[in-house]
Amino acid sequence: MAEQYAIEMRGITKTFGSTVANKNVDLAVKNGEILALLGENGSGKTTLMNMLSGIYKPDSGSIFVDGKEVTIDSPEDAKRLGIGMVHQHFKLVDVFSAADNIWMGKEKPGFALSKKRYKEIDEITKKFGFELDPEKKVYNMAVSEKQTLEIIKVLYYGAKIIILDEPTAVLTVQEIERLFGVLRRMKEEGHAIIIITHKLNEVMDISDRVAIMRKGEYITTVNTAETSEQELTEWMVGRKVDLNIDRPVVETTRPLLEVRDLTINNDEGATAIDNVSFYIRGGEILGVAGIAGCGQKELCEAIAGLRPIVSGQMIHKGDNIVGLTPKAILEKGISMSFIPEDRLGMGLAPSMSIIDNMLLKKYRDSKGPFVDRKTGREDAERVIKELEVVTPSAETPVRRLSGGNVQKVLLGREIKAGPNVIVTAYPVRGLDINSSYTIYDILNKQKTEGVGILFVGEDLDVMLALCDKIMVLCHGKVMGVVHAHKTNKEELGLMMTGTLDLSEKYADKPAGFARDTLFEDGNKKEEQE
Amino acid sequence: MRFHVVKRDNWPLWKRALAYLAAVVAALVIGAVILLAIGVDPLDYYYQLFTMGTVGNKIAYKTYMNYIKEFLPLAITSVALSLAFKMRFWNIGGEGQFIMGSISAGYIALKFGASLPVWLTLVLMCVVAMLVAGIYGLIAGFLKVKFGTNETLMTLMMNYIALYVLYFIGETKADWNLFLQETSSRPVFVNFSDTVAFPTIKIGAKFELNICFILALIIGIIIFIYLKHTKQGYEVSVIGDSAGTAKYAGMKVNRIVLRTVFLSASLIGLAAAFKVGTAGVLSTAITDDVGWTGIIVAWLAQLNTGMIFIVAALICVLQHGSTVAAATYAQVDSSFANMLQGIILFLVLAADFFIRFRIVRVKKGE
Repeated sequence: MAEQYAIEMRGITKTFGSTVANKNVDLAVKNGEILALLGENGSGKTTLMNMLSGIYKPDSGSIFVDGKEVTIDSPEDAKRLGIGMVHQHFKLVDVFSAADNIWMGKEKPGFALSKKRYKEIDEITKKFGFELDPEKKVYNMAVSEKQTLEIIKVLYYGAKIIILDEPTAVLTVQEIERLFGVLRRMKEEGHAIIIITHKLNEVMDISDRVAIMRKGEYITTVNTAETSEQELTEWMVGRKVDLNIDRPVVETTRPLLEVRDLTINNDEGATAIDNVSFYIRGGEILGVAGIAGCGQKELCEAIAGLRPIVSGQMIHKGDNIVGLTPKAILEKGISMSFIPEDRLGMGLAPSMSIIDNMLLKKYRDSKGPFVDRKTGREDAERVIKELEVVTPSAETPVRRLSGGNVQKVLLGREIKAGPNVIVTAYPVRGLDINSSYTIYDILNKQKTEGVGILFVGEDLDVMLALCDKIMVLCHGKVMGVVHAHKTNKEELGLMMTGTLDLSEKYADKPAGFARDTLFEDGNKKEEQE
Repeated sequence: MRFHVVKRDNWPLWKRALAYLAAVVAALVIGAVILLAIGVDPLDYYYQLFTMGTVGNKIAYKTYMNYIKEFLPLAITSVALSLAFKMRFWNIGGEGQFIMGSISAGYIALKFGASLPVWLTLVLMCVVAMLVAGIYGLIAGFLKVKFGTNETLMTLMMNYIALYVLYFIGETKADWNLFLQETSSRPVFVNFSDTVAFPTIKIGAKFELNICFILALIIGIIIFIYLKHTKQGYEVSVIGDSAGTAKYAGMKVNRIVLRTVFLSASLIGLAAAFKVGTAGVLSTAITDDVGWTGIIVAWLAQLNTGMIFIVAALICVLQHGSTVAAATYAQVDSSFANMLQGIILFLVLAADFFIRFRIVRVKKGE
């Protein structure tokens, strides 16, 4: 054998019913190497990794660790073999402290819980170069802290092979940098690392080699240094893809939605959005950037009428919308779709059919006490056709669709309602490249038709390419609204962390106030001038 | 040799039906083994049980009439429970709601039975029983939407409140207590079957079909349409699936929850009124455990309204048949039916597992 692999999978096949999740897949990682596993949603990456971590068992094929064939029957087996996985959805006990979450999976935790465990975990944490309070409860942790805990956990169990499933999906730019620093250090210490991600720039940044999968089949493995994003995409999608995001120039209208001095509390009663003003014109996309949890969700909910505001004004085409019911706001043509982290929680009823989900916001419109499923079916079939939703039928429960198709259904419904303002948060969350571009196209099409779009996003590269203007939030405060073609990632990053405040940049014009505002007092002021 | 569990694709309906049938047959086989062990001929016992002793029986029509009396409350209660379950509101309080309905229906019958026309008394019994049971159920619903209490615990505990109210009424001789016979020195519930009873339709020479049977079928059809095709039914499904989504769609979730819980509980009240109006007397065992059995029926039928009627009919055959069979086989108590019911539930759940998954042998070294 020329090379000794830390882990090698040969001819792995796994089926779920008649669906083939993995078909004859080969994969190998060396010690001291970072392998990126790349593929679209549903291409079988997670399934493959779950077989390494003992959650699934392959139907056929073999797995070698350090050149010896092994069978992995359970997560314990995987742990014994030194394989550790950080799952996309963290497997932590919320009410336990950091130390206890690690402790409970120990081989011999001992009968009594002693105070010593905090010290021991703390030492381990420091040894690996992390920072984490071992006594902190998981429910008090930010997403990045939870992830750090997961990584410490697998390291503590002595993992030599570490698998990370989409670790960057929920992190900010700075947190991703920190994570990559950690990964590089682990690599130097001789760990073998497999990282699953959709983001090509990250693949290029962190990995030594890239393995590509498509529709459950293994395509190829290439050295990262010898490839390009374009090439990777073609392997992944199976055809040429244009990686540029369009930003059509559209004549904008007067402001559709104007928000003034808006203050909103979060669920705990603390200020989530602090004195925020902005406006959206028809025919433009206003991006909202900010690190996770800086008030985006509360803002979206307030606009949709789902959350009471503390103070401030919101007008739509000159009419007040503060205090209106969600239904009344919907009827004004303001559509809101929020893709939460679990992707299904809000906006869709997962066990119900596509048809029933199409009806969600308009089932009241038909006359009489009965639900009009005929138009629902027509809508469903049109959305399936226009947005190329992959589904056996319109009656299929939404939960059976893959992530990209779920989001297409959601956006398709919102657009079918013919809104004039679309508020959309994380519409491409967790989507592969192909589906993401479909979503961008959908949004651009709406924009050219004169719809005003508020786009809450997480990927700054995408926002810079897609949005006309970007509003940056930090701790609920506006750090400024910048033109996307005049700014860059570094500036946005500084604003997101609150280091740079551009909200007072133009002394003559307060940020977020439209010159041709439809606010009555604003008009008066202009007349006086 | 090692095995592992693999998800299965959707089986066609006939295969699923066959799996459930196999589960029931397997349960009967287990029952047969137990019967053999205590020296009873299982074939004959099952024959008695499933025919409910009607073959060659001159008064078989009576058996059928009694059977329907047991079937009605169970079927309506199960349908009512499925309504709440569909919304993921775990109404375990069928017993309590049924008791509250029974007490109020009984009160109306005793108070007005002598003065008002019979049909008016019956209508009044139904309406009041529905209202009282509905409001009794609404308490748990209200606490849930207002304070986020757990409805499973609340409805469960309220069962016992209702039960002990009934015991109290049944044991307390007092001037106000019109439920008990004045003439008797021991506390005995008044029988009003002579003055107030639901009308029956004569079919054939002797069999009399209780009008409630027709009403129950109509209720079943209405609830089926309600859940499947109305806007309110749609709202129930959406809330059951994802309350967050319902809120996003602009539904008034709390109002819908209260409305549905009221509907569920008041239907159980109606079942109680039917029961009281056919039995003509209260008793501390008035519920016949329909609040509990109804939960099993609703889940065995997978909340499908049509299936609920079928499953309820079969469960009633077991229960009623076992009392009949107990007349011949004194050594087999009628609670054998409850045991059989448990085994069936267990095996049907197992069948459910095999419908969704299959077990595969792992091939080594390939």
